[in-house]
Amino acid sequence: MAEDRAYEPPSIPPRASIPSGDNTVWTDVSPLLDAACQDLQEGELIHGDNFNLFAAMSALEIMDPKMDSGIACTYYSLDEAIENGVAPVPLSADKTTDVQCVIDIMDHLLACEATWHKGHSLAQTVYSCLYLLRPERTSSHALLHSYCKVIRATCKAILSAVSEARTHEEEDLFTMAYGLPLSGDGDEKCLSLLNAVEETISRQLRSCKASSSKRRVSEDIEPLQNNPDLEEGYCKALLCRLRFRKHFYHLLMSMKRPQGRGLELARKHIATCISEIDYIKKSSDFLRGNAHGMSKQNLENTTASGCQPIGFDANLNSRLSAPTPPRSIKILCWEKALEYFMKLLQDLDVICSYTLAPSLEAALLFVVKFQKAKPDLVARAHLQLLLVQDGKLYGRDPIFSMITRATGLPEVAEMHDIQKNEFMVQLGQLVINLLKILCTNAAWQRRKLGKMLQDWRVTYVQLEMAFKGEFEEASKTSNNKKVCFKIYQHILAWVEEQTYWIAFRFLNLGFELELYSVHDYCMVYWYTYVVLIKLAEKKHLRMSMSSDSAKKKTKKKRDSFKDGEMDNQISAAVLFLQSQIYLSEGLSMMFAALRNEHRIVPPQSPFNTEHEIFIQQFELLQKACVPDHVSYATFKESTVHANFDTLAICDYFKEAQKIAKEVKSSFSNDPDTMAELRRIEQVAERNSIALNVCRAGALDPKLKVSFAFSHHPFYATATVKRS
Amino acid sequence: MENVEFEASEIEYVSYGGEHHLPLIMNLVDQELSEPYSIFTYRYFVYLWPQLSFLAFHKGKCVGTVVCKMGEHRNTFRGYIAMLVVIKPYRGRGIATELVTRSIKVMMESGCEEVTLEAEVTNKGALALYGRLGFIRAKRLFHYYLNGVDAFRLKLLFPRSELHPSLPLMADKYESHMQSDQGDTPFK
Repeated sequence: MAEDRAYEPPSIPPRASIPSGDNTVWTDVSPLLDAACQDLQEGELIHGDNFNLFAAMSALEIMDPKMDSGIACTYYSLDEAIENGVAPVPLSADKTTDVQCVIDIMDHLLACEATWHKGHSLAQTVYSCLYLLRPERTSSHALLHSYCKVIRATCKAILSAVSEARTHEEEDLFTMAYGLPLSGDGDEKCLSLLNAVEETISRQLRSCKASSSKRRVSEDIEPLQNNPDLEEGYCKALLCRLRFRKHFYHLLMSMKRPQGRGLELARKHIATCISEIDYIKKSSDFLRGNAHGMSKQNLENTTASGCQPIGFDANLNSRLSAPTPPRSIKILCWEKALEYFMKLLQDLDVICSYTLAPSLEAALLFVVKFQKAKPDLVARAHLQLLLVQDGKLYGRDPIFSMITRATGLPEVAEMHDIQKNEFMVQLGQLVINLLKILCTNAAWQRRKLGKMLQDWRVTYVQLEMAFKGEFEEASKTSNNKKVCFKIYQHILAWVEEQTYWIAFRFLNLGFELELYSVHDYCMVYWYTYVVLIKLAEKKHLRMSMSSDSAKKKTKKKRDSFKDGEMDNQISAAVLFLQSQIYLSEGLSMMFAALRNEHRIVPPQSPFNTEHEIFIQQFELLQKACVPDHVSYATFKESTVHANFDTLAICDYFKEAQKIAKEVKSSFSNDPDTMAELRRIEQVAERNSIALNVCRAGALDPKLKVSFAFSHHPFYATATVKRS
Repeated sequence: MENVEFEASEIEYVSYGGEHHLPLIMNLVDQELSEPYSIFTYRYFVYLWPQLSFLAFHKGKCVGTVVCKMGEHRNTFRGYIAMLVVIKPYRGRGIATELVTRSIKVMMESGCEEVTLEAEVTNKGALALYGRLGFIRAKRLFHYYLNGVDAFRLKLLFPRSELHPSLPLMADKYESHMQSDQGDTPFK
């Protein structure tokens, strides 16, 4: 392309409003372009040295509606739209109509807000509302003004939480807000105005109820609107909407308080928000019933009344949304928006009700469990902000002491020196990063976990070397030899355990994200099996070391009961893993047998083999040597001879089922693990049956095997059917 | 839409041959893919890597096209499939497979170590096609497309010669496989 010189877009005259800079000046390039046109062949391009794909993709074709966001506008500018009466204040001279229109705006804004949270740009959702764009214009309309203020303040709070958490991952659209008036004058005091408006409407409601029931002359209160029959309905419809906004804003503020101090209060606001949503839903019959004669039906139904809201234009801002072609955004419908907020509130409630003093292991498992409910960005960002504050868990416990407790080490003086070791500092950072990564969306999370494995591995090696050096030093100068040695052993075992835990999650997430094809299942379950063996081994090692330390302490008190309990805990935790080891091995062998017996025929790629698939699938694990000495060759060795007969001799599924059943009694106080064990049992049982059917009908070509994740998110269940 | 009746041998495959092919490619892509591309994007690809772009014709009508690039990416020499389109009435007959196979072969011969592309997670046809060619789903890209749909980053790793001394023959083996199994037009 070096010789290409010009493909010129039609030139636009410079706008007087853009001034020349210090070293720049506007000139007319028309003569240059004219001359160039004479000289250029079709397809030639004038370009700089740095012309690349990104530059090519960022180029816009002017006047092409697919590309040029300017062309799709009804109005050229906000001023022009306002001059044309797109967003009148008041919305109508008739007070009843005015109220109806304000409610429609409120509803549509809620739908816009939910759409924004779901990953679209703020400019084309919430800020498609012209009333928000010119904060001063609404000041004469207390109701609309207060609502706009609280919306801006809420958006600002959410935006800052998400940017601060940096959980937004690829969802960068979310935080793009340049050029938008996020804070109007006095928005920080939005609640006082909102309270005043709420108070007025409450009084109007009381007054209309009183006057209708007792027919007595009420106080001198001007009604909300003109029609006495509709007064109560409109007052109520407005009140629940205002109260929802108030408590939602309070909720965000409570969650922001350091060290989780506002969480109890936050839960109260969540409960109120949920009940206000209920009232909002209930108001829709009334609103729809009285919407006759209003503007045309709103196809997308972003409002309770079904009417098109006044004062919105998504195209006005599309030029603010970065150098991308204009995207058409479908705003969620009103019901979906309410559903979204209900889900958000429930997710936040889960966060707020969790203990503020969990162990590190419990905290990690909590995040993993929380993610199972597929929370959206805003909830995940809030969880992350709470979990990690100032390098401390919930802003309370320093990560180092969390690690020490997790490794099962007693608090001893020597710890303080170790804490200063640069690789221990690095380990602390890894733990913080791990917590943050677990809060991100599954796609991003898996990538980051995979990359992180190498860091854990490197830190392990560095710690091992540093400890060796320090151990030698300690043995020369003091009698701390034994203590130091023990500390190192504990920490190293724990680091390895975490590394395999991360690897396990990395492999599991591949199923959730649908990254594996059926033909890869054999190797994925095989890899899961080898990782689980290591995880069980390290967990056992680490737990028995801590139990030894604990025993030595308690021995003096002759407390032998505790010994037994401790050992019991170890074996239960390891047996829980053992059941999954059998299950993954069983699945891997089943897929190998199905393949070796030609029940599943893998595709024959013209370009590569199963070996390359293996290298690619496990690249990040292999790079981090997780585990050591595992390769395609070892995978092939262990699966190449699998067939239905060998599987009959060694029934992995039966074993998995048996262990899961037995170990349940140890987890009677742990409903999550209980549920997981039940799932494992079910998958194992069904696969055992499916395998028997396959074996019995080994010669029946009509037997078809299929797989589904019907009982477990990542352990497949086989079904055999006669086709 | 009704499928068109045709013999595989009636489809003619040609390498990108110059500016006259550009409107054909642009029309096809504009019709079928969700992303809007500017003419600069098309020219970026076809001018720099004309040998990686192919068109499929049936009785003079352009029914499919593939547009690609290749280059250094983080210390690996990598091919990239930017656009692959076959119009609806002609789908399911191996035209897309043939087009993309031609591009990948050129990439492999040019020393690429791997090939990548993105596909919408909902595009089952494309995912199956690339799966048969040995691509894995390396990553899921959240909200990748302008329309908000997730994408998979698909990757095909070529064998390193030290692992498979016999591999230059692999693609040739496939030729006969394609001819016999799918009745597609033979490779030139």
